[in-house]
This record gives sequence, C-alpha cells and structure tokens, in this order.
Amino acid sequence: MIAIAGDNIISSLGFTTDENYRAVESGQSGVRLCSPFVGLPEPLMASMIDRERLSDSFADLSPRADGYTMLEKAAILSVGNAAAQAQVDLSGADVLFILSSTKGNVHLLDENEKGFSRDHIYLWHTARLIAEFFGNANEPLVVSNACISGACAQIAAMRELETGAYSYAVVVGVEMLSKFIVSGFQSLKALSPEMCRPFDVDRAGLNLGEAAAAIIYRRTDGKEEAGEALLLHGAIRNDANHISGPSRTGEGCLRALQILLQEVAPGDLAFINAHGTATAYNDSMEAVALASAGLSAVSVNSLKGYFGHTLGAAGVLESIISAHALANEAVLPTHGFKCGEKERPLNVVDKITHTEKTFFIKMLSGFGGCNAALLFKKNTKRTPPCHTQ
Amino acid sequence: MEELILQLKQEIINVLNLEDVAPGDIADDAPLFGEGLGLDSIDALELIVLMEKLYGIKLKDPAQGREIFKSIRVMATYIHANRTK
Amino acid sequence: MPYAVKKYSHVTDKQASVNGKPFPVAAAESGQFLTALYRSLKVDYPKFFKMDALSKLGFLASELILMDEQPRFTPREDVAIICFNRSSSLDTDVAYQATIQHEESYYPSPSAFVYTLPNIVTGEIAIRNKFFGETSFYVCRERDAQQMSQTVEQAFCDKHTRMALAAWVECFEGTCEAFMELVERR
Repeated sequence: MIAIAGDNIISSLGFTTDENYRAVESGQSGVRLCSPFVGLPEPLMASMIDRERLSDSFADLSPRADGYTMLEKAAILSVGNAAAQAQVDLSGADVLFILSSTKGNVHLLDENEKGFSRDHIYLWHTARLIAEFFGNANEPLVVSNACISGACAQIAAMRELETGAYSYAVVVGVEMLSKFIVSGFQSLKALSPEMCRPFDVDRAGLNLGEAAAAIIYRRTDGKEEAGEALLLHGAIRNDANHISGPSRTGEGCLRALQILLQEVAPGDLAFINAHGTATAYNDSMEAVALASAGLSAVSVNSLKGYFGHTLGAAGVLESIISAHALANEAVLPTHGFKCGEKERPLNVVDKITHTEKTFFIKMLSGFGGCNAALLFKKNTKRTPPCHTQ
Repeated sequence: MEELILQLKQEIINVLNLEDVAPGDIADDAPLFGEGLGLDSIDALELIVLMEKLYGIKLKDPAQGREIFKSIRVMATYIHANRTK
Repeated sequence: MPYAVKKYSHVTDKQASVNGKPFPVAAAESGQFLTALYRSLKVDYPKFFKMDALSKLGFLASELILMDEQPRFTPREDVAIICFNRSSSLDTDVAYQATIQHEESYYPSPSAFVYTLPNIVTGEIAIRNKFFGETSFYVCRERDAQQMSQTVEQAFCDKHTRMALAAWVECFEGTCEAFMELVERR
C-alpha cells in the first residue's frame, strides 16, 4: 500500500498546501482577467502563479537560479516543500522521481525566447533537472498522457512502489501557461470568457491555470499512520471514440469507475472529485458516466473554479486538495456552480458540508480519449508496528 | 461563383487532408458534415480558420459555422457576400 | 518476465518489417514512405491522412502487427497501449508554433494543436481497434529496453489487462522510427 507522506501546491492561491486549502475553503478563486497575456489578441481568464514570488521563493531555496525556467523553479520548489514536510532525503537510491506535464517548457520553441539551452524543451531533461537538484541519480519517469497525466503519475508511483523497487516516489505535476497553450485552447474555442462554471447548465468553457503540485508517496509495508491518506487503487481506460471529443456515453470514464467500484461501495464515498472542466462536452460526459456507474447520488465536486484547469498538474493538485478536505471531514463546494442540468441529474456540491465517510474518488479525462480514476482512503486507525502479514 | 466554388473545394481538400478526395467528388449542394466526407468538430474549427486566413472573415460565434458549412455552395455564397480579401 | 512477446514490427521512413521480415512496399516518392506503406497495407482509413507523423508511425506499426489477427475490431478492454519516446510531440509542436509565430500570419491551427500531445497516437490506435483498455505515454531520455520492459511489466498490475501493444515511437529532427511489440500476459 502507498500513503501520502508529504505534499505541496504552488498556484495562484498560495505556495503551500495549507495556504491553498484555506483559500479554497473560504471560497476564493485564483482565476482572474490576465490580459494582455503574452501578446495574444483575445482577453484571457486564467489562474496564474505570481512570478515575482516564485523567483523570490526559489532564491531562498537555492542561489543557482539562473539555470532554471519558471516551470522548473515551480516544480523544484514544490518538491522541496513536500520533502521538508515528509522529512525524506530525496537523494536516496530508493527514491524515484515521476514528472507529470503535458507541455513542459514548450514556450521555448518561440523564436523570441532566449537564454536557455535547447535541452530544456525535452520533458526528460526537465525531470532530470528536478531530480538532480535534490541529488537523486535514478532515471526519472515522465508521464505525458494529456490532462490525465497527474493521475497516471500517481498510478505509476503505486506500481513502482508496490513492485518493490523503491520506498518513496516523488510525484510532481507542473504546467505554466504560454502563448502556445493559450492560443491552442482558443483555437479549439474551449475557453470561457468568464469564470468557469463546472456542471452548471450555463457553463461556457474552461479557464486555464498554472500550478506545480508535489506528493511524496511512501510504501507503507503494512505500517499505516492514523489519518494518513492512502492511494488504494487506480485505473486508466480509453474511450476509443475520438482524439479530442469525449465519448457521449462516457465509455472510458465509466469503465475506469467500474474498476474502482469493485473495491468500494458507493455509499462509503465521501465525495467524487470530478474532472469538471466546465466545457459542455466534458461535464456532460462525466454526468453520463457517473449515472451509468450508479453514482448519481454521491456528492460530486470540481475544483476548476478555484485553480482553473492546470492540465498536467491537475491530477496531483486536485488529489492533494481532496485528500486534505477528507482529513478535515469536509466536502468542498464547486466554485461557479449554480444550477445543474435537468436531463443529467447529479449531486453537485454547492456549499461546504461535513462528512464522516473515509473514501473519495478522483476522476480525470483528457485528449486522446483517455480517462483515469483514483480511489483514496483516509486511514482511520494506526496499524500495530509489529504487523504480520 | 463557380470559380470560387472550385477554389474552395481545393482549399478544403488541402487544409483538411482529404487525400483521396478530388474536387469533382464534392457535390456543390451536398452536406459537408454528417456524411460523405467524414468531417468532424476539429475540421469545422479548421474551416473557421480557413475563412479568416483566405477571405478575412472572422466568425464571432463558432456556432454560426453550422449554418455556413451546410454545403460548398452555401459556404461560397457566404464568402462572396462577406469577404474582406 | 510476466509477459511474452507474440509479434513485433519495425517502421521507419524508409522500410517496414514484421517479426524481422521485410514488409513489401510499392515504390514511394521521396518523403512519402509512410503513405506508400499505408497503401500497401490496403487499409481503408481516410483518418490516416489527418494524423501527424507520430500517430501515422504508431498506427502503421500497429496495423502491421494486428492485420492478421482474428477477429478484429471487436470492442475489448483487456488490451493496453503503452508508448514511449524521447521527443514527446515536438515534431508537431514545432509545426503548431509556426502557425502562431508571426503576428501578420497568426492563425493558430486547431487540427495541429490537438496533435501537440504525445499520447494522441495511443488514442488513434485505440479508436481504430476499439480498445478500451489502458493507454499511456512515457517520455524517456533514451530507448532503454530495461526501463521500458519494466514499465510494460507494471502495466499488467492492472489485473484486467491481458495483452499490450508496447512501442517506442520517435519522430523529430530526422528521426522517424517505431518499434512495436504485441505482448501477452503469461
């Protein structure tokens, strides 16, 4: 089994998990009007990391600031904070780094970007820079599976740890916005000109977001701590339908959910943290899949209204916030949601509620027809130290 | 108009990579979407870019595409009336 | 090893082979080998022409392996598609960047943008074959057979997965190569 030993989020809402969680709890959103954004013709509603604070915080951590892009700084800072919390020496041979990002330093392809060697455009290079910063010599794993990358990276961590090669896995998801990413989503007409409204009948598209989020997972070897968040199971399934449009019947999403439902009863779920991007098609697809899986009655929320869609970081960031909500016995509301769709009834959470249940599911879907679902549990009791299997 | 229709067919074949389709295979009044050419939502977005790039027409609402891309003839008529280049 | 290799293919921009045996391809114009291979496979799948080079490579490698499998195209959830490469989708990233680089010709292409994700190739193969199983993409510094086989092995941690198409698919700056294996749980 694997447990979260430490975590961190760097986003528009703060530079620690606690800062981020408290902002969400109090209903703050980091999404705001960011125009003019790197010379793009259209205004942009997005959630962006404070660059100045990022540079300053990084300078506090290391004097070697010059060699790193903003994205690399954010990832390193996030991992460093998570490791300090977990009190794990990341240079150990039993520690594996896993990077989750869709586009990494893609902004460096712009002719006007200067000052970094070409190597920085490679995701494996970014992963090595992060691992090497902490003195780790193992070849890192890089997952690039569109918007479900953050879930895939956690599933990879589970597999790597459970098959015994490593004791700790550092999962870091990171995405920064660039003209490349923003113009692409604009060309797909996927962006909302206003605050996004996940699962709302009047939703008009997504908001993009920047974040770095890190989780240090440890293999528990039968010694789970009380209150610790455990990642119990994960599944990845494909729609086999279209490379950019989600399946109308929620094919892959439903299948991923059904695998988790072999491990947990719907009545034991505190909530389901959906992908909930607030595009017309994604949210309908998730509603269909949840209904088909018999989960319409379970509380569902989306965190995109607080952070925007942080792409490769989303799965890591949203798992952290959800795990902290569960630790606080809270079900968080869906920022931006007012009124659901009559045809697809869902139990969307619109105000913070109390829960004593101990399981939650994290859902994600992405281009390429991929879908993922993770099952987490809050450990309620301490396992005796001399546990025999 | 006939010239514009032919030019449009050729451009659509190029832009949407319809490798095995010749301009003669696309009937002027046949629906562009839903059957025949096998076009999808990304193709529709690419046609919006084509209208702007070649003819200087900027659609305010992508939903307008549904009407304009009904057939080659409807599209050509719209372009003829609204082109700025 | 918990899995066995059933069949394998190799495709570059100059040649193709299945199980080490060259696959005959009718003469191609220069730079058009992948299209000539598509024609020689006698596949009717016009979507092929819309794919970027990375997806074309993966698609063709999978067709070479699966063309004789029976039955085909029956929906199944027990086949995973796991791809690896060095350069992610950079080949298409550069092409998309060209559509936004200059202000006077700023026309971001939606059809190029959707291919600026490396895992699209796994989706294309899943769509073609109706494979609802796991699809994953990993980016590595080099084609390290040991690291790749370890990751493929771990894909069988999903107890529903019985088979996998596992591939190295690289396409950037003069390199165009796919090695694919069909592997089966022992």
